[in-house]
Amino acid sequence: MSTVSLNSNNNANRPNGNGTPEATDSQPYQAPLPWGRWSLRAVALLYLALVLIIPLIFLAQNGLAQGASAFWQAVRLPVAWSALLLTLWTAAVMAAINGVMGTLTAYVIVRYRFPGKALLNAVIDLPLSIPTLVTGVMLVILFGPQTAIGAWLQQHLHIQIIFAPPGIILALLFITFPFVVRAIQPVLEAMDREPEAAAATLGAGPITIFRRITLPVIRLPLLSGMLLSFARGIGEFGAIVLVSGNIPFHTQTAAVYVLGEVESQDQLGASAMSLLMLAIAFGLVLLVDILQQRSPRQEVAL
Amino acid sequence: MSIVLEHLTKRYEGHPVVNAVSLEIGDGEFFVLLGPSGSGKSTVLRMIAGLAPSDAGRVLLQGRDVTGLPPQRRDIGFVFQQYALFQHMTVAENIAFGLRVRHASAAERRRRCDELLELVGLAGLGGRYPRQLSGGQQQRVALARALAPRPAVLLLDEPFGALDAKIRIEMRRNLRQIQRELGVTTIFVTHDQEEAFELGDRLGVMNVGRLLEVGPPDELYLRPQTEFAATFLGSANLLLGETTSDGVRLGPLTFPLGTQAGALAEPQRVQVLFRPEDIALASSKDDLAGPPLGEGQVEQTTFAGTFERLVLRLPKIPGVRPIAPVAPFGSDHLLIEATRNQEQARRFPLHAGESMWVGVHRLHALIHPGLSLLLVTNGSATSQAALSLGGQIARLAHARTSIIGAGLDEVQLQATVQAIKEQLAGIPALQTRAIAASTAQAVREETERQAYDLVVLGIGPQDDPDLVEQVLGAGEHHVLLVSRAQTALPTKALICVSGGEASKEDVLFAGRLARHLGATATLLSVLPENADIPEERERATRFLEAGARTLALLDVPAAPVLRSGPLRETIQAEMMAGGHSLLVVGAPMRPFSVARIRPILAGEVSYPVLVVRSPYAAAAALSRASAKQEEMV
Repeated sequence: MSTVSLNSNNNANRPNGNGTPEATDSQPYQAPLPWGRWSLRAVALLYLALVLIIPLIFLAQNGLAQGASAFWQAVRLPVAWSALLLTLWTAAVMAAINGVMGTLTAYVIVRYRFPGKALLNAVIDLPLSIPTLVTGVMLVILFGPQTAIGAWLQQHLHIQIIFAPPGIILALLFITFPFVVRAIQPVLEAMDREPEAAAATLGAGPITIFRRITLPVIRLPLLSGMLLSFARGIGEFGAIVLVSGNIPFHTQTAAVYVLGEVESQDQLGASAMSLLMLAIAFGLVLLVDILQQRSPRQEVAL
Repeated sequence: MSIVLEHLTKRYEGHPVVNAVSLEIGDGEFFVLLGPSGSGKSTVLRMIAGLAPSDAGRVLLQGRDVTGLPPQRRDIGFVFQQYALFQHMTVAENIAFGLRVRHASAAERRRRCDELLELVGLAGLGGRYPRQLSGGQQQRVALARALAPRPAVLLLDEPFGALDAKIRIEMRRNLRQIQRELGVTTIFVTHDQEEAFELGDRLGVMNVGRLLEVGPPDELYLRPQTEFAATFLGSANLLLGETTSDGVRLGPLTFPLGTQAGALAEPQRVQVLFRPEDIALASSKDDLAGPPLGEGQVEQTTFAGTFERLVLRLPKIPGVRPIAPVAPFGSDHLLIEATRNQEQARRFPLHAGESMWVGVHRLHALIHPGLSLLLVTNGSATSQAALSLGGQIARLAHARTSIIGAGLDEVQLQATVQAIKEQLAGIPALQTRAIAASTAQAVREETERQAYDLVVLGIGPQDDPDLVEQVLGAGEHHVLLVSRAQTALPTKALICVSGGEASKEDVLFAGRLARHLGATATLLSVLPENADIPEERERATRFLEAGARTLALLDVPAAPVLRSGPLRETIQAEMMAGGHSLLVVGAPMRPFSVARIRPILAGEVSYPVLVVRSPYAAAAALSRASAKQEEMV
C-alpha cells in the first residue's frame, strides 16, 4: 500500500502548469480495437476484485459475522483496547515528529547546497526497500539492554528504548522517514520564490517568511504526508514485533495483538481488530486523496 | 542623493554580469534603467534591494551604506515582474503585510490599506484573493503592497512586462501619476524604450553589465554618445564618416554639422547618426528639404498607423561603412530607414521599386570609438614580436591601445615598450599597465576593467595551447596570435569560413581589420573530402560569393575559393600557395574550447592567426548559463 500511495502522491503534487487531466477514455491516435478495449478493462477489474476486493469482503464478513455487538465486544476487550490505544498514540507521536523533521529535511534538501546532498536525497528512500523486520533487528542491536548505548541510556537517564513505547516510535519513524519529505519536496521545488523575496523587502524576517509565506504553500502536502505516515504506522508489524517485546497492556500493538489472536485460534478477535485498523487506514488514505486533489490547484497555482 | 551606487559589481562564474556600475539618483527622481535582456539591469536592481549579494562596490540609500544589510533593513519597496503576491492572503492582507510585520495597529493597517486601494484604483476589492484579479489588477496590488510601509525608495523590475499592450500604457500613466503624487524616489527597470521615454526623468542605458550612458530621454535620443545607445533607443541610421572644419564628411559628401556643439579642429573619425524622421524624400535633388545623400530606390514600405516606415536602398558611397541598419550579408549597397507622417506619404506616395532622392535634414556625430586593442607582453622574444606587430596594427587602425606587462614590474614594462618605440608612434591613446600575474590572469583582469575588441598575444610553438584557451575564455574579445618573429604587416588574409551566422561575423571583423591594414583577402571554404555533395558545394559557393560582396562593401578586394580535403592540410597548402600572411578562423564565444582550432595551430605555424569570436555559435550555451544564473539569485 505504501509505495502505491507514495507514487500517486508525487503525481498529484506535480506543478500543474498544464494540469489538464489526460484523457482516460479513447485515445484518438490509437486504432480502436473493439474487443481489446473492453477485455482490457475486464482483466483490470477482475484482477482488482481477486487481489483486493474479495479478501476485504471476506474479512468484513468474518469480522461482522456474529453481529455488530460481538464485533464491538471483541474490540473493547481490555487487552485489545489498550493495544489499539498504544498503536494510535505511538503513531500520532511519530507523525508529529515526522511532520517537523520531514519539513526540515525537505527544506534543507531543496533550498541549500551542501556536500553529500545527492547521497542524502538517495538515502531517504532507503527505508522503503529495507525489510521492516531488519529495521527491528537494527534497533535491537543499537538500543537493546545488552548494548553499550541501551545500557547507558537506561542507567543514566532511566530511558528504556527496546521493549518500551520509545522503541516502537523509533521503529515507526525509521520506516516512515520518506513519507513527509517526499510529499513536501516537489511542492517546495516548484514553489515560486519571488513571494518570499517580496516578504523580505517588506521587512519580514526569515522566521516570519517561513511561517507566513512558505508554510501555507506546503501545508496540505505536509498534512497528507503526516496522515500517510500515520496510516502506515498503525498497521506496522515487522519492525515492531521485535522491539516492542509484545507485553500485553504495555507494549503490545494492535498488529501484534492480531497475530496473537490468530495463533490462539480466536478468529473473531483477529478479524474484528483487523477490520477496525483497516477502516482507520482506509479513512485516512481517503482523506489524503481529498487533500491532494485540493492541494496543487489552490496552493501551488503559479 | 537618495540612491548612490559606487562601482557595483557582480560576477557569475568569474565573469562580471554587472561591471563597476556607478550612479547617483536624486530625491523624488524617476529613474529608468534600460537595456536588453541579459544586460545586468535587473541584477543591479536586486543588488540595490539586497536580494542579490554584490561582489564589489557600495550601495548607499539616503546617505546610509546598506551594502551589507539584508533587504529587511533597507527601507525599500520592490515590485516584481510576476507580481509575487501572497496567493493565500486577500488583497487587503497582502497590502497590510509590511505594516503587520512592523506591528502597526489594526486600525492603522485598515486605514492605510483603504488609502492605497484608493490610490491604485482598486477601492472595494480588498476582500478578493489575487487569483480572482486580472494581471493588471494584481500588479496594482503589488504596487500598493510595496508602497504601504512608505519606503524611501521604490524599485520596479519590469513590472509591466507580463501585461498586454493596452493595459501596459494605462498602468504606465497611473504609475507616473502616483509617483509624482508621493514623490518617492523610483528606479524602474525595462527593456522597452517607449516605456523608458514616457516614464523617466532620466534614463540609464545598460549593455553587457556596463552602464553606458545616463541622461534625460530627449538628450539620449537626439545626442547619444555611444553606438549602442544610438541604436538601442529607437531606429538609427549610422554611417562611419569624418568631421572636418566644414562639418561632417561622408565620403565625397559634406554635411553642415547640426547638433554637435563645438567644431572639432582636427579631422576625426565619427559615427554619423540620423534618425528615420530626419530623412527627407523628394522626386528631384532640388526639391529636397535637406542636403542630399543620394538617389535611391524604395526597398519596402510599411504602414505603421500614425506614420509610414520605409526602407531605402542607396548605392554604396565610396569610403563609407554602414554600421546600422546592418546591411544584409552579401549586399553591396546601403540601407537607410526612413519614416514619414501620413500627410507626407499622401503628398508624395512611394511604392517598392520606385526611385527618389534622399536627403538628411538633421544629423548628429558621435565620436567613433574605433577598435580597441590590448597588447600583452611577458618580456619574451615571441611576445616582443606580438607587441611590435600589434603596435603597427594599432597605428594603422587608429585604435585605442593598452599594453599590459604580465608578470613584469613597471620598470621592465617601460623598457619593453621603449624597445619598440617607432612601431608605437602615432597611436592616438596609449596606456600601459604592469600586472603581477600570469598572462591569462592579467588578460582576464584587464578585459574586465575595460572591454577590448582585439587582444594581441605572442605564442610560440612551445607555448601551452591551454594559454590560448584561457585568454579566449577571459572575455568576448577576438584574439590575434602572433608566433615567432612575425613582425611584417600581413598583406593578404586567408579567411576560413564554414557558412552560417557565425561565419558572417568572422567575415565582417576580418574585413574591418584587413581594411585598416590595406590588405586583400581570400575567402576559403573547405569541404570534407569524402562528403563533397553537390548541394553542400552550391551552398558554400553562395556563401563565399556573398562574403566577397560584403568585403567589397568594406573596400577589401576578396576572392572566393572552394576546396575539399582534410582541413588542416588544405588550409596550410592554401596559405603557402596564395602567398597569404594572416590566417582568420572563427571560434564560439563561450564556453570556449580550443579543440576546434588546435589542429590549425599545431606544429610550426609561421604566420599570425586571428581568432574571431561570434556570439551566434554560443547563443545556446549562453542562454543556459543565464537561466542558471536566474536560479541562483
